[in-house]
Formats: sequence, C-alpha cells, structure tokens
Amino acid sequence: MKAEDLLHKLLDIEAPWQIVRIREDLGRRQIDVWVAPQTTKGNWLFGAKTASISADREHAWRHINLGDTRCVIHSEVSLTAPPQPWRGEIGQPFTNAMSRQIAAMMRDGIKLQSICTFLDITVGDLWKFKHGLDSGKTGLASAAASASAEAATAVSKVPEPDSLVWSCLLDGSLNLDIRLLSLKLLLTKMREQMRVIIDPEVRVLKCYELQRFFVRYEKALGYELSQIEKLA
Amino acid sequence: MKTIAKLMSVGQAAELINSGRYFNIAGDETVLKQLPQGNWIGGTIPYFMAEEGGTVTRDRVFVNEIEVFDEPPTIRFYDLESLPQLCRNAPEHGYTVVIVPAFSPCHSAFAENAPNYEDMYMKPLIGWVAGVHLDDLGKVSPKVMMGTTGELSDQHVVAIDVPLPPDKFANIDIINLFRPGDGDTITFDVTGFSATNCKINGKDASFADYLTANKVDTRLPLVADYCGAMINVSIKGIDEATKRVDFYAPIFPAVQYRIAAPVGDYVNGFQAALPQLDTGITFSCNCILNYLHSNLEGKRTAQITGPITFGEIAYQLLNQTLVYLTIS
Repeated sequence: MKAEDLLHKLLDIEAPWQIVRIREDLGRRQIDVWVAPQTTKGNWLFGAKTASISADREHAWRHINLGDTRCVIHSEVSLTAPPQPWRGEIGQPFTNAMSRQIAAMMRDGIKLQSICTFLDITVGDLWKFKHGLDSGKTGLASAAASASAEAATAVSKVPEPDSLVWSCLLDGSLNLDIRLLSLKLLLTKMREQMRVIIDPEVRVLKCYELQRFFVRYEKALGYELSQIEKLA
Repeated sequence: MKTIAKLMSVGQAAELINSGRYFNIAGDETVLKQLPQGNWIGGTIPYFMAEEGGTVTRDRVFVNEIEVFDEPPTIRFYDLESLPQLCRNAPEHGYTVVIVPAFSPCHSAFAENAPNYEDMYMKPLIGWVAGVHLDDLGKVSPKVMMGTTGELSDQHVVAIDVPLPPDKFANIDIINLFRPGDGDTITFDVTGFSATNCKINGKDASFADYLTANKVDTRLPLVADYCGAMINVSIKGIDEATKRVDFYAPIFPAVQYRIAAPVGDYVNGFQAALPQLDTGITFSCNCILNYLHSNLEGKRTAQITGPITFGEIAYQLLNQTLVYLTIS
C-alpha cells in the first residue's frame, strides 16, 4: 500500500474526497491535512485528480491523534455534504470521529481535565464542545454508537445506564420525591438541557451522566432509589 | 467531635487560630484584619445569628471550626479566570466552603455560571457572600480573607477544600420558608441580575409595570421549583425611569417563577420547617433580607447560628434562604 493510500485509510477519507496537501511539523508534533473533493485536474501530491480549498470557506477541525502527533484536518465548510468522520460541524473544534472519542470518554466518567491530557487538547476547545452538546447546538449524529461503558454496578441498586428510568427522569415523564438537594438542582439543570438536545447520542450521554451521579451517591440516595425500585 | 461555632472576641479567635486548627470566620473588616495568620478563611459581615439571637457587632467575629480528618484541608484564592475550576479542584470525597465578596465581578460570574462549572452538583459546595454594614453600603467594599497569608481581597473568592474519609458524608441542604404564591407564572428570556421584559403567563409584559400595577410586595422573592427545591430570586429594586427591575441573584431563562406567598411569623415558621437532624450542623448561614424583613435582631432561629450574609451558597447562589452543612 502506498503511503498516501495508507494515510487516506488511517483518516477514513474515501472518494470523492481526497487529501490535497499535508504540512508536517514534527517539532510541534502536529500534522495538518487538507481535504477536498476530487476534480479532474492534475495534482502535485496525490496523483491524477486534484482539488482545491477556497481559503474563505476553509475550516479546521482537530482529528484523532496519529500516534503522539496531533492531527488537524482542513476542509471547506459545507452545509450540504454528508457527514464524514474526518469532518466536524461548523463552529466546533473537533472532527466527528474525535467528538465520538471524547463523548465515549465522557460517558465513561473520565474527567474533562484527564481527557485534555490523554488527547492533548485544550480545555477551551473541550468546553466549547461540551457547551455545544449541553445546549443542543451540536450532536453526535454522524457518530456510530460505540457502546463501551460497562459501569461497575454489579452489586448496585442503581439501574444500568441504558435503563429507561434515566431518560424518563430527564424528560420529566418520571418524577421522584427527591430529598438530596444536589440531585434536585442537577436534575433541574439536566432537564433544561434535554429540552434543547435533540441528538439521540447526546441524550444517551446525559443518561450516563445522571446514572453516574446515582452511582456516586448511592448511599445517600436510598430514598430515591427505593422509588425507582418500585417502578421496576 | 463537637466543633466550635460561636460569636467571640478577637482575642478568643486569635487563640483558636494559633492552635493550628481550621476555621471559617465572619466579621467586620476591622476585626478580621486583627486576626493572626493561620488555617482560616474569612469574609466581611457584621450581622450574625448568635446563640443569644440576631446580633449586629463590629467588635466580634463568628468562628466556625472545620473538623479535619485524615487529610488536611486546602485553602486557596480564585480569581475571575480560575473560578470555573472551583468544583474540579474540590476533593473527590469531601466538601468545599467558599466565600464570595458581594458586588465583585466574581460574585456575578459565580451567580450566573456556577451551575455549568465542571463537577458542579457532583461535589458538595456551600458558602456565603461577604457584605458590609448597611450604613457602609457604597463606601466600603465587601472582602474575603485568606488566613494563611493574611491577604484581604474584594476581587477574589476564597475557598477551603475539606477532604473526608470514606465513611463520612457531607450533606448540604436549605431551609426556605417561601413558597410560590398562587399568582401568575413569570418567565424571562435572558440570564441576568436585572430585567425589563418578562412574560406573564406566556404574554410579553414589562416586569416593572407588572410589579407596580399589582402592588407586589417586593420584599417577597420570586420563587421557582427546582424539582422540589424552592429557589428564590430576591428583588433589589425597581428603576421607574428605565423600567428595570434589579435582583440579588440572576434570573434564568425558561425557569418558571412566581411571586412568593407571604410568610407570617418567620421565627415560628422556621422552627416548624427545621428538619430532624441526626447529626449536628457543621456550618450554616442565613440571609440579610430575612434578618431585615423578619426583624430577627434579638430573635433566635432555633439552635442554628452563623453569619447573616449578602447571599447564600448551596452549590449555586441563593437568596433569602438558610443553608446548612451536616457531616454524617
């Protein structure tokens, strides 16, 4: 396999899309990749077909790291192009693949600071992404479900994250008599967020978030959990 | 262990500080400055609910001891930029006491943004808003103090993170006598400490005109039901010229507010609302507006004591509410 083919494969870039330029700066441990649709003109780098990216429509998204090297993908903003793993949403800092990876880490309860460290991303970008999710402005629609989080709830009274209880609590179709102040305030905030979140995967993420709270404070939530148990 | 929570002289407080124990101290700026450096955080306020009842004093300080278990607490200042890290920096198992200077940029930033801080509601956060004697309003700024260095600031938030052993649990709760009245539903489209426009039962209206036309007693807060927690937003005043209504805490969009029903006798109502607690209260504070509107000077609110503050913090900023912490 040629090097350029391998790079296309690694970045999940398929025709009609094509890498048209690469800037590699090993000193900064960053590789910048420009992707554009194929045309019929010649290309100085990747063979017969070439393409160009209009500078005023170019957008850059942080993609999944290549080893220890940060990968930034540049492409034209398009409202009509179908979602691709190597593209991101307009105004968002990450590609869809990177967003999916971050969302999976958040669902697993990994702290935001740790996610920043593991993935070598800035806190500012991560907050921008999280705000987008919480406010319903962005989603994970292009992300395939990568259900991983198997919470250690074997001896717990807390229902699994995929239990209907969480979505019912979050959409307000299920109400509990809540004693713990922090849960009252958290649930109020999350219900507000759920009113504007339409992306199904982000809604699932919120269910995981609420379930994690119950796992963390299971001892203090006996009264609330007994109500959930009766519903089962 | 029974911890100290009482009004005392500067000398008595200094003696306690010199013992090396940890404290949360409230007092007038002049007396806070006289205290020695040590393991304490402080905030300015001369109003207290003491054992003898509601008290105003510029000569004494209210000292709340913080019980230390296996790990020592951490004391730190936050500025506007680092404030969002407040909960993230809190111990995984424990709690945080925070003091915010009233009218500072940190005060408004905390009030508006705290619900969105990382780890908010996941780690217990309690605290109060430092103030001044009402005679000094506009002349002296409320301040917080980091006892470890003796630094006094009207621009920082001071916090103490207290780790707890696994068998201990910090619980934060509130006592709010106000309940939503049976009047109109009020909503706002924006977040902020002031509003001109609102929706009354879904219809656009001027909030100032609404309050005036309905002769609303503005000592009564707006109340919203947060999944069973009654959360107040107190009305500071109405600027008739600009039709702007100012608040002591921010209003939030999409939250449904109602004007509170009047509370008859605060002291008796408070006694009735006080929950049966298995363990003692480690820290509590009540609101200056409850103190003023319910004439609490000289009156007791059951066995609960502490500073009377310009705002109460139980995770987020509250108004006209008593907040308390228990460790079980």
